Amino acid sequence: MKGVRILVMVLVGLLLVTSCSEEQDFDQIDDLAITPSYETSIFYVKAQETLINRVEGLSFFTQDFNFDAFEEPFFAERVLAGVLTYELENTTSKPIEIRLEFLDEAENVLDTEVFSMDAAPTAILQRDVAYGTTGKSLDIIKATSEIRLTAINLGDNSSSSTLPDPAIVLRSSAQFTLDIR
Amino acid sequence: MRLCHCFFIAGVLLTLSLTAQNKQILYDFNEIPQSLSINPGVESDFKWYAGVPLLSGISGYGGSNAISVNDIFANDGIDINIKFRERALDVLTPKDELSTTIQMDYLNGGFRSENPNVFYSFGGYLEFDNIGYWPQDYAYLLYDGNADQLGRRYDLGDLKVRGSLVNVFHFGINKKIDRNLTIGARGKLYSAIADYSSSTNNGHLTNVEGQNNLIASNLNADLLLRTSGLRSLRDANNDDALANEIVSRALFGGDLGLGVDVGFTYHLSERTTVTGSLLDVGFIYHSGDSKSYSLKGNTSVEGIEIDVLDNFASLDRDFWQDLVDEIEEAVPFETDTGSYISFRPTKLYASIRNDFGEPVGNGGSQSCDCTAGSSGGGELRTKYRNSVGGQLYMINRPRGPQMALTGFYMRRIGNVLALKGTYTVDKFSSTNVGLGMNLQAGPVNFYLMADNLLSYNNIAATNYASFQFGLNIISWGRNK
Repeated sequence: MKGVRILVMVLVGLLLVTSCSEEQDFDQIDDLAITPSYETSIFYVKAQETLINRVEGLSFFTQDFNFDAFEEPFFAERVLAGVLTYELENTTSKPIEIRLEFLDEAENVLDTEVFSMDAAPTAILQRDVAYGTTGKSLDIIKATSEIRLTAINLGDNSSSSTLPDPAIVLRSSAQFTLDIR
Repeated sequence: MRLCHCFFIAGVLLTLSLTAQNKQILYDFNEIPQSLSINPGVESDFKWYAGVPLLSGISGYGGSNAISVNDIFANDGIDINIKFRERALDVLTPKDELSTTIQMDYLNGGFRSENPNVFYSFGGYLEFDNIGYWPQDYAYLLYDGNADQLGRRYDLGDLKVRGSLVNVFHFGINKKIDRNLTIGARGKLYSAIADYSSSTNNGHLTNVEGQNNLIASNLNADLLLRTSGLRSLRDANNDDALANEIVSRALFGGDLGLGVDVGFTYHLSERTTVTGSLLDVGFIYHSGDSKSYSLKGNTSVEGIEIDVLDNFASLDRDFWQDLVDEIEEAVPFETDTGSYISFRPTKLYASIRNDFGEPVGNGGSQSCDCTAGSSGGGELRTKYRNSVGGQLYMINRPRGPQMALTGFYMRRIGNVLALKGTYTVDKFSSTNVGLGMNLQAGPVNFYLMADNLLSYNNIAATNYASFQFGLNIISWGRNK
C-alpha cells in the first residue's frame, strides 16, 4: 500500500506541475454587450383618389389606430435607439398633407410628423426620423399606444389623375437597437 | 502571466460546456473491471470484484471542436466583444459542437458463476449527457439582429440540442465460449431524471422587399422542443425538495427505458486479437411530466396594412390586434403534454491488437497466477508485456455519426502496473495523446486516465479534455 501511495502522489504531483493555464478572467462576461438591431415594416396605408373625391371637406380621412408594439415590455425596457422610415407616394391629382400623431394611453399627443406632397407627378417623399441620443426622445416611442393618421386634401374633389390606380400611399418601417444584456 | 492551476479545477471548468465520451484508454484495458462497461465481451479473469461505492468509476468529458475557454476568457487585454466576434460568431458553424458528459458509478461489482466460463457484472451509474451545436444563425440574430440584411435567409434549423440526466441499472453476462472467443451482453434499465431535445428544427426567417410596404418579413417555422422532468424538478426546487425529487425520479419514479450492450473478443491468432462492442442500443419512454413546445407554420408580414377603400366599413377595428392574431393563427405556438420516446446515443467500439514481447507471468515479472482467462476454466490465455493496435469509436449524433480513430501502445510491468498510451484523431483534436495507468496492489485496484495531455501547458486553451479514474477491490480466487 505504501508503494501505491507513493505512486499516486508522484502522478498527482506530475499533473500539478505540468498542468498549467494562462490566467483567465471570467468577469469579462460582464463586459459582453449584446445590442442587436432589428428591422421590420410598421404600417401601410393606401387611400384611392376615387375615395378622396367622394369625401367633402379638407380632411378626407382621420383614424386612430391601436399600436401596442412599442409598449411591449420586452421592447420598451430594452430599446436604445431607433429610426422610423417613412415613404410617401402621391399619384393623385391633388396636393395632400398627411399628419401622423403618436398618442399615449390617455390620448395625449406625444409627437407629430407632417408630410406635404404636391399633386402628381411628384417624386416619392422619403423621411428618416431618429429616436435616441441623436434624435427625438425615446420616451415618445416607449409611451406610444396609438397612432392617429389624418389625411388632408389640399386640392379639389373632382379632378382625376391620369396615372394608373391613383392613390396616396404611406409606407413605413422601423429599425431599433435593443440592449439584450 | 501564467498561473499553474490544478488539473482537476480546469477539468471541471471544461466540463461545464457537455455527451457520451470516447473512453479509448479504458477500452480493452482488461486489467480494469470497468472495461466491461464498454465491452461486455472483454476477457476477464476476476473471481469477483467490487468497485468502491462512488469511486469505482468517475469520468468526465467536455469538448468543443472549434473554440476553447481560453479563446474568450484569457486575460489578454482584448475586449471580450472583439474576441467573441472574431473567435466565435464569425468562425463557428452549425457543424461545430459544444458537448459534455459526466458519468459516475455509484455501484459496480461482478462475480464468477459456478461455471467458471461465466462472469456476471452489475451496477448502477448516473450519466449527464449534453450535446449542442453552434446555432449560427440564431447567434447572428441575437448578436447583430436582422437590420440591413434584406434577402438574408436565417436558418432556423441551426438549433440542435439534446441532453439527459439518467440513472442506469445494469446486469451483464460475460461468457467464454472457447479459448478464442469471449462474448458478453448487458441489459440496462434507464430511469430518466430529466430529458430535453430540440433536434428536428427546420425553417427560415427572411426580410425581403415588400409588395405593398417597405419590408416583408417571411417566417417559415417547424420548431419543436421536447422536455421531460423539468417541471417536476423546478417545482421541487421551489419547495426546497430538489434532492428528494431527483432521488425519486432516479429510482424508477421518472421515465423508464430499456437498453442493451453487446460485445466480443476474438483471437485471430495467439498474439492477434479483435474486439467489438455496441453500447446503449435502447430507448426511454417519457410520460407523466413530459411537455413539448412547438412553433409551426408560414407567414409573411408587412406590418399593419390598411387599404382605406377596402376597409372603409371597418376602419374602427383593432388592426394591430388583428395582425397579432393572424400571425398567431398562421404560426401557432403550441404546448403538448403527450408522451414521447427518446433513443439513447448508441456507441460502437472496435479494435485490433497485436501482442509482442515476453509473456507476462511466464518468464516475465509476474508473481501471481492472474492472467486473463486464468479462472476461466479453459486454457490459459497468455498476456504479453507489450501490445499495440488500433481502435475505432463511433457515436450517433443529431447531425450524424461521429468517429474517432485511436492508435495505442500498452506496456505491462508484471502484474502490478499496466500503462496504456493512446493517440486519437477526431473532430476535436488531431494532437490528442492520452495516458492511462492501472495499478494493482494486492486486491486493491486503482486506475487513472487522462486525455489530450499535450494541452496541459494551457488547459484552458484546449478544445477537449476528459478524465477517468476509479478504485476497485479485486479477487482472483487465489492468493497473490
